[in-house]
Amino acid sequence: MSLSFNPETFNLGQGLGNWVVVMVILAVVTFITALVVSLLAEGFAGPWQVLLHIAGGFQDLFGTSARRCLALAQLTFREAIRRKTLWVFGVFAVLFLFAGWFLADVTADADLQVKNYVSFVLRTISWLILPVALLLSCWGLPEDIKARSLHTVVTKPVRRHEIVLGRILGFAAIGVLVLGVMSVVGYIWINRQLPDAMQSQLTARVPVYGTISFLDSEGKPAEAGVNTGDENMFRSFVEGNTKARAIWAYSNIDISQLEEGRLVLESSFQAFRTYKGNIDRQLLGQFTLVNAKKELRVPLKAFEVREFRRNVYDVAKENPTLQDVAGKPVEMKDLLSEGQLQVETACLSSAQFLGMARPDLFIRMPPRSFAASYFKSVANIGMMMLMVVVLGVVSGSFLKGPVATILTFFIVIVGRLAHTFMQGLVTGNVDYYNPTVKVQGAGPFGALYRIFSHLTPGIAFDDTFFFRVIDVLDRIALNVLWAVQHLFPNFTSFDTTEYTANAFDVPWAEALLPNLAMTIGYCLPWILVGYFSLRLRELESK
Amino acid sequence: MANEVVIQTRNLTKIYRDFWGRKKVRALNSLSMEVVKGEVFGLLGPNGSGKTTTLKLLLGLLFPTEGDVTILGKSASDVTKNERIGYLPEESYLYRFLNAEETLDFYGRLFNMPANVRRDRSKALIERVGLTNARKRQLKEYSKGMTRRIGLAQALINEPDLILLDEPTSGLDPIGSRDMKDMIVKLKQEGKTVVMCSHLLADVQDVCDRIAILDGGELKVFGKVQDLLKDQGVTQIKSSHLDEAAIKEVEAVLAKHGATMIEVDHPTTNLEDLFIKTVRESAARPGQRYVPPSNPEKVASGTGKAVPGTVHPPGGKA
Repeated sequence: MSLSFNPETFNLGQGLGNWVVVMVILAVVTFITALVVSLLAEGFAGPWQVLLHIAGGFQDLFGTSARRCLALAQLTFREAIRRKTLWVFGVFAVLFLFAGWFLADVTADADLQVKNYVSFVLRTISWLILPVALLLSCWGLPEDIKARSLHTVVTKPVRRHEIVLGRILGFAAIGVLVLGVMSVVGYIWINRQLPDAMQSQLTARVPVYGTISFLDSEGKPAEAGVNTGDENMFRSFVEGNTKARAIWAYSNIDISQLEEGRLVLESSFQAFRTYKGNIDRQLLGQFTLVNAKKELRVPLKAFEVREFRRNVYDVAKENPTLQDVAGKPVEMKDLLSEGQLQVETACLSSAQFLGMARPDLFIRMPPRSFAASYFKSVANIGMMMLMVVVLGVVSGSFLKGPVATILTFFIVIVGRLAHTFMQGLVTGNVDYYNPTVKVQGAGPFGALYRIFSHLTPGIAFDDTFFFRVIDVLDRIALNVLWAVQHLFPNFTSFDTTEYTANAFDVPWAEALLPNLAMTIGYCLPWILVGYFSLRLRELESK
Repeated sequence: MANEVVIQTRNLTKIYRDFWGRKKVRALNSLSMEVVKGEVFGLLGPNGSGKTTTLKLLLGLLFPTEGDVTILGKSASDVTKNERIGYLPEESYLYRFLNAEETLDFYGRLFNMPANVRRDRSKALIERVGLTNARKRQLKEYSKGMTRRIGLAQALINEPDLILLDEPTSGLDPIGSRDMKDMIVKLKQEGKTVVMCSHLLADVQDVCDRIAILDGGELKVFGKVQDLLKDQGVTQIKSSHLDEAAIKEVEAVLAKHGATMIEVDHPTTNLEDLFIKTVRESAARPGQRYVPPSNPEKVASGTGKAVPGTVHPPGGKA
């Protein structure tokens, strides 16, 4: 099975640039708001106080002591342990004692069985660890303040950010402990549950993805293939027995780096039949290897498309000799000269369609170990847990326990379930799979006008002064919303279960690096918020 | 520098506001006072008079609405002042899941002390407050008195110059209370400055050099305990036992000087002394009833002879 989403390489430089822009905007807005509010509340002494607090922040930063942070972290850790947090292992153990009954032999297909086990283990771990991290971190500081034990800490030379950092480190340590034990147990469980015959399925394939483009049924370049009305727009369809093609272009291919030095194409296309046809026979597909620079075109032997399966096509095995369209023999090294290769894919069955998306065809590199992929997914769960901990501790620094819990829960839920939707709203791009689908109509002000004037989104506004004002207002509103949606991290991207469960390696540039950058990018400003809210807060709650 | 000012407040005012920013309570109104080095200073007043508010303003736990505080030459909001301050909160808000050693080690680390210093000081302090036998027990198992003791120990972990004690003797039995007062006096002898707030007047009178009495957030009385309590209109003479004739003669002498004898009496000791002597005797001679020496006839008649098993063990848990 291929991935049901399009893995994109993370551009660190661009991400960093965006981050700096958002941070600067937020910092400036916060600073100006603080100045105005303090001026209104305290008169001219107010802004001076704001400046003093900022200077104090820098002073505190330089006074940071690792020993104090670790002392507070150890305190947090001890507290959690002595409050019997580790009972969560009990739940985990019970789940795993009985899961085998329900999950064993669900299917005879080894890859699906592996997928079942792996996704069960990883999902269970993340669904158990996140609530624990959320509750612990949201209640830690508020309870400390309520019980006034924090009084005995802040009356020592402890900087407020050390309290925030100490709490975060302590809870993170608990989380890592729980995560570590659970993931090792889970790993052993998967290995023991799988019969020997299926053990070979525990692997981590390393794909090389290309870029995809389409030709329509007349052989002209098209933006996408045919829309078969499937509600999922992820795949575009190529019509059978026409000139329609999906073309994948690969670069930097080095045959010596490929699996066993051979060109192996792996695909999983979706079949769409306009008539039943011979139901015992699969649809036929055909690859043509193209080197545009050398003007080489090598059609390969046709293959049957087994749906919902991994279709492995070993080029050399299926085609002992490579011949171009004119029947002239072609060497593989010529075909791959300068690392360039295009794979044109056609559907050979008349009046049937093959659905294709970018991750549906890839060239295989030597696989990595399943353990590496599994523990990379665990590391992603760990990063998500860390974010929840930081968010919980920070909201606990200015809210009471229950409210902090609700806030953190809300941010996690929005970040997990609604992030794509939210992003679509503000960018006007509602279809995640197809960036060409744009929202018709306008932003919030234009939409409001349309509601009252019964104007359908398909009809454009006139070019008058009134509508130009609406357009400007819409742009401002959408830009503000664009900034606001950045306050919610995209928690979906921390779930890399799909990679591991589908026997893919968890890639560094597409999954680990962006998540790492996101964790650091969000945690730093959150910690800053936590510091200032503790510093500006009268701890004696009355 | 005997008169070095350790704490100075100027027009210190604290108004508590509600959620909407409306004034709720004026907890402290224009308090100006000074505490000098080496004294034991008492903040007195009824409940809700502003004592604890003052202490929390000094510590930076609350921010003043008006006025300012200088403590050890620094602002109350300056965290580095805490290096030289020890604070015992009203109730011991310590971490109840830690034991005595872990507690002191934890607070020691907050002062950035190296491990060996922390170990030595913890040991000495636990001994000093008499918790050696309970040092491995979690604080949640401690009695009130023991909690106060470990609270004091944590306040002293950094060998502070200034010690702020909020109700140090509240909830303590007479022995514990006496021990606490002895420790306060000892701290004063070591040259430390102690500020305590309390509404147990006897305790304040026993240990404080100077006091301030607050009521309704306002400073009502400020000065040396000795001076404040001295009644210049009365002279008290103490002597060894006098018979009736001698008393008459003294009265005549007083009349000659134009003074009136107000009262002649045999002083009674206070209940605290009796209690402490009883408990100490009982510890020295378990199983026997303690008979105060002022009742010689009871000893002679033998009615005070102890019946085994009727003496209560001293001091309860503490």
